[in-house]
Amino acid sequence: MQRKTLRRWNNAIHRDLGYFFFGMTFIYALSGIILNHFKSGDFAHPDYSKKYEQLTVALPANAVADKAYALKVLEQVHEEKHFRSFILGNGYIDIFFDNGSLYVDLSSGKAELETKTPRYILKEFNLLHYNSIKKWFTWFSDAYAVGLILMAITGLFVLRGKNGIMWRGAVLAVIGIIIPLIIILLYT
Amino acid sequence: MIKKLFLLFIPCLFLLASCNQGAKNADVNKADTVSLAVKSFIDSAAKYVEKPIRIEGTVLHTCKEGGKRMFLADGTDSITVEVTTGANIPKFDENLIGSRVKVLGILKEERVDAKYLNEWEAQTKKPAEDHSTGIHSATKGHEDQGTKETLDQINSLRDDLKKSGKDHLSFYSVEAISYTVAK
Repeated sequence: MQRKTLRRWNNAIHRDLGYFFFGMTFIYALSGIILNHFKSGDFAHPDYSKKYEQLTVALPANAVADKAYALKVLEQVHEEKHFRSFILGNGYIDIFFDNGSLYVDLSSGKAELETKTPRYILKEFNLLHYNSIKKWFTWFSDAYAVGLILMAITGLFVLRGKNGIMWRGAVLAVIGIIIPLIIILLYT
Repeated sequence: MIKKLFLLFIPCLFLLASCNQGAKNADVNKADTVSLAVKSFIDSAAKYVEKPIRIEGTVLHTCKEGGKRMFLADGTDSITVEVTTGANIPKFDENLIGSRVKVLGILKEERVDAKYLNEWEAQTKKPAEDHSTGIHSATKGHEDQGTKETLDQINSLRDDLKKSGKDHLSFYSVEAISYTVAK
């Protein structure tokens, strides 16, 4: 096969895989940012953004933390209409409502309000990124991984001349390999 | 044009081939299932290992990483039951926390012996984290447990193992086939 024909095939493979896997690349890249920051501790949860507020609430009048008390405490944060349930612990009560929970220390009345907002769409992207669906998605994501490898290899040979793999491309590719290598050497 | 589009057929073939790989649904005869209560789960679990059971409780915690586990409580947090996702459940959403759920699943036993604890200790001392090992509890943020806390937990389990007089400790959980949120 002539070099020109080889390059034409190379570019066609690179282009069509790029088009076909555009959606997957977008999904993995976006959820990758979220999971990266979740792993590094910047986000409390990958699927929900959470806010915490410290407050003080009244202690149960008869020293019994029951549903009536849970509802009364929720009134203070205007969540009584969204009450779900409560769990009693050793010296505390955890009151759950639709979009969060309220932890109350029953000895001091100090409380922590946790409210959460779903990261719509990103939540579904994370589900795919974790391959929580399994089944046929395992095969499709494997195909995507193979496609990425092919895209990476064919990408090296898309351009000819000094902007291609013979100079500029080679320099950038080597830098891109060296950076993760340095990180591996430094941290493992 | 046809020649240029042929590449699209390769991944499509992949997809078609994989369509036959559907997960095998667990064959559970619902009439045979036993209903267990959260509060007495530990006492009765040994009798129903690998058998279908039903259990109802309030979701106290779901694992942040992938939502593969949730913990059910009933009134207090002193006793919790670990429920893991089965083949047909992608995850337990964080939004389940505080909801009353009814779970149908297979009761599983995990045996922890001295060898397991030694391997766990060795793994804990390595820098890389493996979330699949260890005993999961309903404690909030247990995924963020540090090395010292994990080593303390391992030593505590070693003590429990010694006190038990047996060669292993048993931990029970439920692998969920399905679940519903009670209204």
